[in-house]
Amino acid sequence: MTGAVTSIPGYQPTLKSRLWSMTQQTLILLLISSIVLPILWMCITAFKWPRDVYSLNSAFWFEPTLTNMVTVFQHPWNLGSKIINSIAVASGAVALAIPMATLAAYAFSRYEFRFKKTIFLTVIASQFLPGAVVVLPYFLMFKELGLLDTRSALILINLSIVLPYAIWMIKGFIDAVPIEIEESALVDGAPRWRVLLEIVVPAAIPGIITAAIFSFTLTWNEFLFALILTKQDALTLPIGLIGFRTDRGDLWELMAAGGILITAPMFILSLMVHRQFIGSLTAGSVR
Amino acid sequence: MTKITLHSIDKSYGEVQVVKNLNLEIFDNEFLVFLGPSGCGKTTTMRMIAGLEHPTQGTIAFDGKRINELGPQERDVAMVFQNYGLYPHMTVEQNIGYPLKLRKVPTAEYEERVLRAAKRVQMHDLLHRFPRELSGGQRQRVALARSIVRKPQVFLMDEPLSNLDAKLRVIARAQIKHLSEELQVTTIYVTHDQVEAMTLATRVAVMSEGVIRQIGTPEEIYNNPLDSFVASFIGSPAMNLFDVSTEASGLVILQNQNTNIMAPAQGDWTMGFRCEDVQLCDPNAASLKTEVFTFELLGDCTMATAMVDGKLLTVKAAKDCRMQSGDALHIKIDPQHVYWFDYQTGKRWLQI
Repeated sequence: MTGAVTSIPGYQPTLKSRLWSMTQQTLILLLISSIVLPILWMCITAFKWPRDVYSLNSAFWFEPTLTNMVTVFQHPWNLGSKIINSIAVASGAVALAIPMATLAAYAFSRYEFRFKKTIFLTVIASQFLPGAVVVLPYFLMFKELGLLDTRSALILINLSIVLPYAIWMIKGFIDAVPIEIEESALVDGAPRWRVLLEIVVPAAIPGIITAAIFSFTLTWNEFLFALILTKQDALTLPIGLIGFRTDRGDLWELMAAGGILITAPMFILSLMVHRQFIGSLTAGSVR
Repeated sequence: MTKITLHSIDKSYGEVQVVKNLNLEIFDNEFLVFLGPSGCGKTTTMRMIAGLEHPTQGTIAFDGKRINELGPQERDVAMVFQNYGLYPHMTVEQNIGYPLKLRKVPTAEYEERVLRAAKRVQMHDLLHRFPRELSGGQRQRVALARSIVRKPQVFLMDEPLSNLDAKLRVIARAQIKHLSEELQVTTIYVTHDQVEAMTLATRVAVMSEGVIRQIGTPEEIYNNPLDSFVASFIGSPAMNLFDVSTEASGLVILQNQNTNIMAPAQGDWTMGFRCEDVQLCDPNAASLKTEVFTFELLGDCTMATAMVDGKLLTVKAAKDCRMQSGDALHIKIDPQHVYWFDYQTGKRWLQI
């Protein structure tokens, strides 16, 4: 790494600058390790036999196995149904949130109406409320409605969590769409809904997709509400994970396997989308 | 095809009134240019005709039919925006064809008309490019093609050339003029460039501060400005305008010299004359003796300027004329070609 500094021709690094760059690299390494090591630990542990999990001898050298991956899908863990619940809740929330957020963001971005700023700030500020404060009222409300332990309840709750972020993100992208292309479309004869659908949405699509992924991730990982509002039918993956803390102790190897199942889809999704939508699509529309 | 009537139009944004009691008739097949400095209300007026803004007061009518309440979709106008407003996610072909798609034109006709419009602006080889892959001039031509792909009631053009470089601008200007003659559609064109106004217009409406100062053919506007603002805005270089006072006899004093030019009456005046109506002459025949401030070669002619009473006075001279800063400058102003404006109101004084 120091090569980058010393390789400049004729440049003689002083002892001080060398020490400084070494300190910098150490700090960077520490920072990276604090993020990567737990993930690494999870990926390794998921493929260990239970007997190897606590043993220092087999910290890195062990006989790998897929048993954990199979076990988590069997009784009593049944991660399969939890995966389905998680997918249903996250997809449902995103499918509702994105069209709603797009419409709201468009209104906030382009229309003038009374109390616009106040309403917008209220929507954003609703996110500053800790979930723990509202979880009990929600519990009672859903109990009244008979929606406890259902996917619909989780979709609704996650919608309320995700919408403000999505509105805020998409609004930023719609703000950046030049107003002239909308006016062009209006003059060309497009009704407002076609302007939105055929001009604004395609131009703001990077933002909309970003918001969708963000919303999906947020819902996918949501823990508190799922914990309180579900019991057995609508359990999601994160709740499934704490099931591995049993009377017989923590089953780390199973928890790690479940952890991979939670992380992998998000990882693949973000990789796929990231590659496709780099840069803004609006380049070249005006001037 | 369409006659447009603007009847006592007012437009205010909160406290600020940008268009004041504007009355205007735009004739069928006319090429009308709104000319004025930025912020004079010319773009707002055009946007009201397009339906993108709504007048605070007054009536807009197409062929005598009030259209105030119609949105831009229902007015059947086509507009070229200053920064073109191309759809970034559509190809050139889709951009040009979008107005047709909205009107559900059948595929065969759609393709034929898009190609014809693209050919008119020489963009038919680039139909599958995206706007981001085009140069500024090409984008401008796509915007133009999109507006001519259908035959609207009115063409609206909002400074369509201002983002092009000087050379391209001349070419595009010729193209627009040719197109408008060929298509025979009422056209309204907004610009702050008086050369564009002079070359393109059948009539020019000179605006300032939300008011039409004068409306007429380019010739009328150039030869017969009704006030000192119009006079100062039209012509390149601008008309020489000087605030002068006269002797008791009515002879004009300029830079403490008696010019031997008779004002219409004794008192204060704004005196105007164009650079081409001033000649260099012998010292004894001169209306004004001064010295050269700058001297510019323009190729087909030369321009000498002098600093007179704190303002620049421009004189057009022969192409082989050569002078240097500080040289003596003797000029003769032809009284026949002097415009007199009221010193207070700026209104032109006309002989009765």
